[in-house]
Amino acid sequence: MSTRETVNVEDVSKTFQVKAGEVTAIDHASFSAEKGKVTTIVGPSGSGKTTLLYVIGSLEKPESGEIEVAGSDIIDAGTDLVRYRRESVGFVFQFFNLIPALTALENVMLPMDLAGKPPAEQHQRATELLDRMGVSGRLLKARPNKMSGGENQRVAIARALANDPEVILADEPTGNLDTATGQMVIDILSGLAHEGDKCVLMVTHDESILEVSDKAFHMVDGRLSEITA
Amino acid sequence: MRSFRRGFRSFRRNYARNLIVVVLLFVCLTFSMSMLAVKLAADNQVDTIKQKVGNYGEIKVSSEYQMKQFEAEREKSRAERQAEARSMTAEEELANRVSTLVPEKLTDQFSKDQYIKTYDKVLQTNVTVPGIANTNMQQLFRARDNGPEEQNAGPPGSRMNQNSFFFAGNTNGASASDFATGARKLVQGNTFTYSDYVDANPVVVVEKNLAADNELEVGDTVEARISGESGSNSSVELKVIGIYETVQAAQQDQGSSSDTPRFNPAGNMFYAPLSVVQKLNATPGYVELGSYYFDSADDTAALKATFKKDAAGTSARYEFATDLSDYKAIADPLLKARNTAVIGLAGALGACALIILLAMIIIVSGRTRELGVLKALGSTDRQVIAQFAFEILCICLVAIIFAMGATALIGQSLGNWILPKTEKAATSQGSRTGPPGMRMFNRDSLYKEGGRFSAGDSGQKQQAEKLNVVYRGSLFLYGILILVGLSLVGMAIPVFWIIRLRPARVLSME
Repeated sequence: MSTRETVNVEDVSKTFQVKAGEVTAIDHASFSAEKGKVTTIVGPSGSGKTTLLYVIGSLEKPESGEIEVAGSDIIDAGTDLVRYRRESVGFVFQFFNLIPALTALENVMLPMDLAGKPPAEQHQRATELLDRMGVSGRLLKARPNKMSGGENQRVAIARALANDPEVILADEPTGNLDTATGQMVIDILSGLAHEGDKCVLMVTHDESILEVSDKAFHMVDGRLSEITA
Repeated sequence: MRSFRRGFRSFRRNYARNLIVVVLLFVCLTFSMSMLAVKLAADNQVDTIKQKVGNYGEIKVSSEYQMKQFEAEREKSRAERQAEARSMTAEEELANRVSTLVPEKLTDQFSKDQYIKTYDKVLQTNVTVPGIANTNMQQLFRARDNGPEEQNAGPPGSRMNQNSFFFAGNTNGASASDFATGARKLVQGNTFTYSDYVDANPVVVVEKNLAADNELEVGDTVEARISGESGSNSSVELKVIGIYETVQAAQQDQGSSSDTPRFNPAGNMFYAPLSVVQKLNATPGYVELGSYYFDSADDTAALKATFKKDAAGTSARYEFATDLSDYKAIADPLLKARNTAVIGLAGALGACALIILLAMIIIVSGRTRELGVLKALGSTDRQVIAQFAFEILCICLVAIIFAMGATALIGQSLGNWILPKTEKAATSQGSRTGPPGMRMFNRDSLYKEGGRFSAGDSGQKQQAEKLNVVYRGSLFLYGILILVGLSLVGMAIPVFWIIRLRPARVLSME
């Protein structure tokens, strides 16, 4: 793995048992993603791209293969996966997955709270991050159900950045947004990679995102192939 | 700590949903706490009753044996009885005299039982005091026969005459039941002590009006005749060491002028050391009864077993009579109320557990996405469980605080509602001892209830007629226990859910 490579996936496979039998979600997938770049995996629904993202995020366990993210071997049983999820990766979901009982500010403070950071530091960083995402003023104290989809997704991105992870894992980040808002979210994520030196890994079925991608892969039936320009 | 803060925040933010659970729990907890308060009140009152009733027993000749003796005597003609009396040896005469008494050996042996707290021996008998006129007896005879005032004889065949008095002997004058129940009160001098009993000091305590009618003072002496004796050794000189007043006499003094003739049969009693009364009755080594106090009604069965062992071979003649039936009559309504309260408490707590369990199933199933997010963001299972635990604790705490408040309002009413169903039974059962004044005719009456013509004590019965549901520390302690228990039950579902939840499965769901 080169010094810029932050995510390195080698020969990873994952299958699910369903009533009809065994379904291969990921079929010997290998790829890498680097810091400062947007890496995109496109493919139709059910192709296994979200599963791959969750495997990288340690929310699913693969049957085989090796995965190294930000210097952590997440397949190794000795790796502290809770700490890995807190500090090394940040998730952005299609349905935002903000906690409905918390305000925008509190949602962003939550990962820092779980990491044990002091409340004052949490508050300051969350305010800064939300300000960078264009969420400020009364919106800081608004709950998710009082905000638009775009605002919710920007809060979700701020939350993903809360503990300053090296990798941002975005699952269909524009899937639940209108075109204009989706474009705004893509711009933010792209900015995080290019200006913030983050490794942004997106999975989507929206091929228009390929325009802002530095590296792209196509996924069909669990098999991954690189899209070359 | 952070998890608790997050739990509290979650409790506040989800107030509408939590309020429904709180209200449901409040209703059931109010009922639970009220039932608990009723149970604690009943327990407390039963304990208080136990200290005074159900902890007394006495060894005496059984009623059945006395009845048999009486029947046997009744079947004999007067001539047969006289012939029998004439032909009796001294030993036979003593045996005849003590046939309705208990040997001291038996009462002393029984007193060694580990459960016995205090022990007394009692002998009451009729003694002739030639120099003292029984003015009450005079009034009785005059009223019966309508005869001349100076008539000085009792009914034909009776040992009673106008110089007859009851002598009550025990080991310590202060512990004589009439003084213990308050039916009699020492107003002058002293009463006899245990040393007087041991040394057989010839001392006596007399009644105030009787003393006044016969011009007796403390320090004077009276002569009492020994039963069945004649000649120079047929009497004992007794020194008056104290004067007592009866409740009836005190009431008469308050309610009437000094010119009104005083009828006070309760004043016919002389109190003297047991050893002196035994001498006057010519029955040394025998008592009418052994009187015992023990810890509580719970010891009765063990004591009955001891008695059976001690009185082996003579158990048909002697009996160990207790006030257990009094205790049962008094405590039964309270015990029944307590049992009802326990059933109610168990039911209500079961309902509480069901409510919190169902509520948590609904709540947690509606928050699986939140659980998934928390795990995806790096929460440990312990952090998530602590957060939910505190949230549930808050729900239960609010409900229990309000329930405690409501219990203060309705606890007493609930207690009254439970108790009256059994109260009537108690008052009818409680009349075993009969009305005051009739006790002398009731063989079942116990020495502790006071002697002849005593009013007895009805305080205990009154104590069982009302449940005093009051707040006490133990209620709060039980409240905390219920709170912890409910929270633990409520946590069962979230813990199961949190541990098994796979975030990847819930995060992709729309």
